[in-house]
Amino acid sequence: MSVLEVNHVTKTFGHNTNEVTVLTDVNFTAAAGEVSLVIGPSGSGKSTFLTIAGGIQTPTDGDVVVQGNGLAQLSGKARDALRLNHIGFILQAYNLVPYLTVKDQFALVDRVKSKGNLSATDLRHLLEKLGISQLINQYPAELSGGQTQRVAIARALYQNPDIILADEPTAALDSERVKVVGQLLHDLAKEHNKAIVVVTHDLRLKEFADKTYAIMDGKMTVA
Amino acid sequence: MFLALKEIRHEKLRYGLIIGMIVLVSYLVFVLSGLAYGLAQQNTQAISSWNASKVVLNSDANDSLSQSLITKQTADKVKLTTHEAYIGQAGVVAKAKGQAKLSAQFLGINQSQFIYKRVKVTAGHKPTTNHQIMVDDSFKDNGYRLGDKVTLNSTDTQYKIVGFTHNAKLSVAPVIYGTLGTWRTLSHVTSDFQASGIITNRDSFKTKTSGLSTLTMSKFINKLPGYSAQNTTFTFMIGFLMIIAMVVIAVFLYILTMQKLPNYAVLRAQGIPAKVLVTTTVSQALILVVGGLAIGAALTLATVLALPAGVPMSFNVPLLAGVTGGILLTGVIGALIPVKVILNVDPVSVMGG
Repeated sequence: MSVLEVNHVTKTFGHNTNEVTVLTDVNFTAAAGEVSLVIGPSGSGKSTFLTIAGGIQTPTDGDVVVQGNGLAQLSGKARDALRLNHIGFILQAYNLVPYLTVKDQFALVDRVKSKGNLSATDLRHLLEKLGISQLINQYPAELSGGQTQRVAIARALYQNPDIILADEPTAALDSERVKVVGQLLHDLAKEHNKAIVVVTHDLRLKEFADKTYAIMDGKMTVA
Repeated sequence: MFLALKEIRHEKLRYGLIIGMIVLVSYLVFVLSGLAYGLAQQNTQAISSWNASKVVLNSDANDSLSQSLITKQTADKVKLTTHEAYIGQAGVVAKAKGQAKLSAQFLGINQSQFIYKRVKVTAGHKPTTNHQIMVDDSFKDNGYRLGDKVTLNSTDTQYKIVGFTHNAKLSVAPVIYGTLGTWRTLSHVTSDFQASGIITNRDSFKTKTSGLSTLTMSKFINKLPGYSAQNTTFTFMIGFLMIIAMVVIAVFLYILTMQKLPNYAVLRAQGIPAKVLVTTTVSQALILVVGGLAIGAALTLATVLALPAGVPMSFNVPLLAGVTGGILLTGVIGALIPVKVILNVDPVSVMGG
C-alpha cells in the first residue's frame, strides 16, 4: 500500500534569467514494508526531492500525498504535526542538538510527542543493534562522525514513524556499519511495515533496497 | 523549559558570562537607585517623620524655611490647633571636647505641640529646657554620647545631649532638636520673633494672614536647596542607565537566539512545533534575567551591609519593583525580537544538497 506519493513534482528556484529547475516532473511512490533507494550524484536534486516529500519544501508544480493527505491542502501547523507523528528524518548534517546528550535527544522527542514512541526496551535494543548503547550520556561533540550518524538514525526511529526519509544516512560510515544500517532499515521495513526512502550516492545500500530510482539533473527514473 | 535548561547547563561559560553581564547591570542600577533614594531621603527624613501636610512661611522667604522668620504679632493672627506646630530652623556647627565638628540643622520646637510629641526617642529623653538638645543617631556614629556637652556655632553656651532620635536628617545634615528659645539664641533674634514657620498636618489648613504663604509639603520639599537638582540628576542617570542596560541585554539575547537558528532548523525539520522553540527562547531569557537580577540583588545587599553607616543608601520597594520589572521586560523583549525569524526558520537550510 502506497503511503507516500510524489506526483508530477517540479521545483524551480530563482526568477527569469536566474531560474534553475532542480526537479522536473518527478513521480515517485513509497509503500509500507519497502525500502526505496534514490541514487544520484551531488547536486542532482536528491535532497530537494526528500525535503519536498517530507513537506519541508513545497513544489512549484505537482503534489505530494502522505498517507492520503495532500500536503498542499495542509496548514503549516498540520504539516508540522504530520512530520512529527508520521515522518522520521535522518539528516545529512547538523542532525543532533549539540547541547543534549544522546539520552536527552530521545527525551526531547518524548516532550513534544508523548505517544507512539518506542518503549524503553525497544530503544535499548535499537541502540544495541546500532552499537551505540554505551554512548547514552555523551554529547554530540564527543562522538565520531559515524557514531553521530547512528545516533541520528536512532533518534529518527525512536519517533516510530510510518515513513523514514533518510538523506545520505551512511555517508560517514565504514562498510561494516553500512551493512548494519542497511540491514536495520531493511528489517524495519519488513518487520515493522515502515516505508523507507533513502537518498544517497552510496551504492553499497543497493542490496538492501526493494526499489531503486536514479536521479540525474532533476529527472527521476526507475533504475 | 527543558531545552532552555539543558542548553544553559551545557554552555556554562557562555551563559555564565551573559548572567554575569546582567548581574553587573542590575547591581549598578540597584546601587544607584539605592543611593539616589537614600540621598533623597536624607533631605527629607525629619519632615517625613512629622507626617505633615503643609508649611506656613514668611511670604518673602522664597519658600525656604531657613530664610523665613515669622513675628509674634503675625503668628498670633494664625489660629493654631493641636494639628499645628511652630518650628525654628538654623544651620549650626556642633562641637564637643574631643569630638569632630559636625554640621547640622537645629530645629526649635514647642513641647506642647505635635512635632515634639511625634518625634521618636531612641535613647534618653526629649529636651525640656533651653540647654538640652536631642540629636540624630549619626552623632552617636561620630562618637557623641548621652550627657555630652556641645557648643553650637561660635557661642560659648553649652548644650547637653539628653536624647537620640533615629532618621532625623534635613538637607542631608543631622538634625538637632531643641527649644524655640534656643533657636532664637542661635538665630540672633529677639523674642519678637515666634518661629521660622508653622507646620500643620491638616490638609484643610488655610490662613489668609497677610505676610504669610502656605505651601504643600511636596512643594516645600522640592524647594529644599539642591533637592530637585540632585533628584533630577539621579533620575536621568538611572533612566539612561536603564535604557542602555535594556538595549545591551536585548542585543545580547537577540544575538544568542540568532546563533541557535541552525539548531532550530534541525528541530523544525523534525516537526518540533515553532511554539516550543519560541517558549524555549523566552523561558531561557527569563531564567538568565531572573538569575542575574537575583545575584545582582544579593550583591547589592552585601554592599549595603559592607558600606559604612554614613553612606546614604536606602531602598524603596515600588522603585525597586519598577527597576526589576524594567530589566525583566527587557529580557523578554530581547528574546521576542527574533520570534519572527524563529517562526520562519527554514529547515531546508540544514539539509544537504
